[in-house]
Amino acid sequence: MSVVERTEDAAISRPKAVARRLRGPKWFLEMGWRHVVAICACLFALFPIAYVVSAAFNADQSLGGSSLIPRHVTLENFRAIFRTSQPAGSEFLPAHYVRWFLNSMLIAGATAVATVILGALAAYAFSRFRFKGRRFGMLALLLIQMFPQLLAVVAIYLIVLRVGDVFPVIGLNKPTALIVVYLGGAMGVNTWLMKGFFDTIPSELDESARVDGATPAQIFWGIILPLATPVLAVIALISFITTLNEYVIASVILQTTQKQTLPLGLYQYIDQQFGKHWGPFAAGVLLAAIPAALLFTFLQRYIVQGLTAGAVKG
Amino acid sequence: MAEVIFDKVEKVYGNDVRAVHDLSLEIGDGEFVVLVGPSGCGKTTALRMVAGLEEISDGTVSIGGRVVNELTPKERDIAMVFQNYALYPHLSVSDNIGFGLRLRKMPKEEVASRIEWAAKLLGLTPYLDRRPKELSGGQRQRVAMGRAIVRHPQVFLMDEPLSNLDAKLRVQMRAEIARIQHEVGVTTIYVTHDQVEAMTMGDRVAVMRKGELQQMDEPQKLYDSPKNLFVASFIGSPAMNIVEATVERRGGGIVVRLGDQELPVPEDVARRRPALSGYSGRTLALGIRPENLEDASVARNGGARLHGRVLLTEALGSEILAHVQIDAAPVVTDDVVEGAVVDETEQVVAADLLGESGDGRRTTFVGRFDAASRVKPDTDIELVVDTAKLQFFDLDTGHAIHESAV
Ligand SMILES: Nc1ncnc2c1ncn2[C@@H]1O[C@H](COP(=O)(O)OP(=O)(O)O)[C@@H](O)[C@H]1O
Ligand SMILES: [Mg+2]
Repeated sequence: MSVVERTEDAAISRPKAVARRLRGPKWFLEMGWRHVVAICACLFALFPIAYVVSAAFNADQSLGGSSLIPRHVTLENFRAIFRTSQPAGSEFLPAHYVRWFLNSMLIAGATAVATVILGALAAYAFSRFRFKGRRFGMLALLLIQMFPQLLAVVAIYLIVLRVGDVFPVIGLNKPTALIVVYLGGAMGVNTWLMKGFFDTIPSELDESARVDGATPAQIFWGIILPLATPVLAVIALISFITTLNEYVIASVILQTTQKQTLPLGLYQYIDQQFGKHWGPFAAGVLLAAIPAALLFTFLQRYIVQGLTAGAVKG
Repeated sequence: MAEVIFDKVEKVYGNDVRAVHDLSLEIGDGEFVVLVGPSGCGKTTALRMVAGLEEISDGTVSIGGRVVNELTPKERDIAMVFQNYALYPHLSVSDNIGFGLRLRKMPKEEVASRIEWAAKLLGLTPYLDRRPKELSGGQRQRVAMGRAIVRHPQVFLMDEPLSNLDAKLRVQMRAEIARIQHEVGVTTIYVTHDQVEAMTMGDRVAVMRKGELQQMDEPQKLYDSPKNLFVASFIGSPAMNIVEATVERRGGGIVVRLGDQELPVPEDVARRRPALSGYSGRTLALGIRPENLEDASVARNGGARLHGRVLLTEALGSEILAHVQIDAAPVVTDDVVEGAVVDETEQVVAADLLGESGDGRRTTFVGRFDAASRVKPDTDIELVVDTAKLQFFDLDTGHAIHESAV
């Protein structure tokens, strides 16, 4: 990637390899097959998206009979999910899409930010401090992570139910409760991932900062976090997308339509016995994908930048 | 600025790794002291205990009259230069240098002027906006120095700061660090495994081995009168030639016998070492520095002679190093082997030079000859020995049989 090139100064840059020009079969053996593989991979990945896009703009409501290229292109599906009043005779749920969308963004965003901060704090402690129970703590985190969160659904439900009596803020039907559950769920993996990355940051940097007069907190915010941007960005992204997609736990905790997230809400569009609203569903899904895509585009810079800035010795 | 005092300092890692043992030394205000010794002898550990990066197991370290055992690095007011520089890769050169000042909430103008001062002193002014990775090794080294000097700390601590540089740059930076230290006058403890660096830079040099201080002295004293076999073989390059010799009384004087050859010990040398006569009839370790051996065919003044066979020669232009095999038993105690070896890969070479590969009755001497010498490998040679400079060591204890020993 060109990022590597950009930062090198003239005194240290190596002469660039002169690109060879190849033709014909030789070109195919050296380069061409890579293009073929890449195109196949792209098709494979884009295929489902093509269907969703098609369904979102298709005037036909049923999926079965529709072709990939819609016969009648319409924006009606998008209008439908934003409409405030219900058309007569339809069991279609109006006006909630925006709510669900905001709920999802809030929950996923908060979870992503809090996951990164909590994980980084825990990882910093495990990576840099030596304390009683450090080994045990690391192992426990890993062990707990071995069980899928799904196993705990019943327990989570009961805990949230009871805790809600004492702390209503994290009781049933509260987005904060869901965020707290998500935070606990991904803690282990994230802490391990980040600890692994922190371990690669030479401890001389911490020590040098300590001698310069920095407190552990200043070292964490001023040295470790800036150097760990790639792993932070990756974890924020993964956490955001996972949370955005999560269904089961959300369905257990968020019970009223107003409080629900996109997966719960949108599922209701296609859950009804006599009218599966695939069109509005696809339109809703498409719009929901935009923030995730934007976030990725935004964080990508940090991932690449961070990786090249990691060189400490040399 | 302050003096640093180690008082019976111990460091035990875990439960059983004793890295530093009973270390006591005093470093004067503004002094440049080098800790030197083979790899793993506890130099870094000693330095880190001053920095506050390593707990002190026992004894005390004081800086400027204040015991610092329980103080954080910040409270000790020291600056440290690390072997790999430890520059903050995400900060520019000027932010790297100013990092410690900003943490101390120093006013902006003051920070700027100090950075400017340090950059000027180190020739870094054109690079202030660059990131560390856009600098050469030597420039990074300077940034690390800059970060230390801007703070005007009480003590500089440097852990092998030059070992990542190539040989030529190392020599250049050696002079530069000495110049800067002199200019700012801050007490400095400098750690290295390179005895040449130690000898050229230190006001005084402390030689360590296996966590213990062997000798602390001015470089010339260390060279002229090493306290034991380890220091003798560690300091000096090429290393001191050390060989087994038997002391004999001969007509009122003393001679030492190496194999079937003899060297007379000058009267005043013997007189200054009364203990020497007590060794008569016994074997000791005899040390001869390479520059005290000369090719007899170019020697200006005569003297005692040894003969041997030339194994190989290294012409350095200004002088010739000749490896000469003598029929006499080498001294291969741990002291000597460890002292002569800089790292493990050289062990074989060292053992070879010490004559181990032979039948154990031959020793290879290195002589530093005048460039006029026409010495050739595989020829016999006569060596003139400057017997006034002979050194004697007890074989069992390794201690020097010293001038002062009465
Ligand atoms: N953190 C540590 N834990 C355990 N042993 C250590 C540690 N650091 C150093 N040691 C041991 O202490 C001894 C001295 O090490 P060190 O001070 O680094 O030597 P030097 O700097 O002279 O090469 C060595 O035997 C080394 O293995
Ligand atoms: Mg060391």
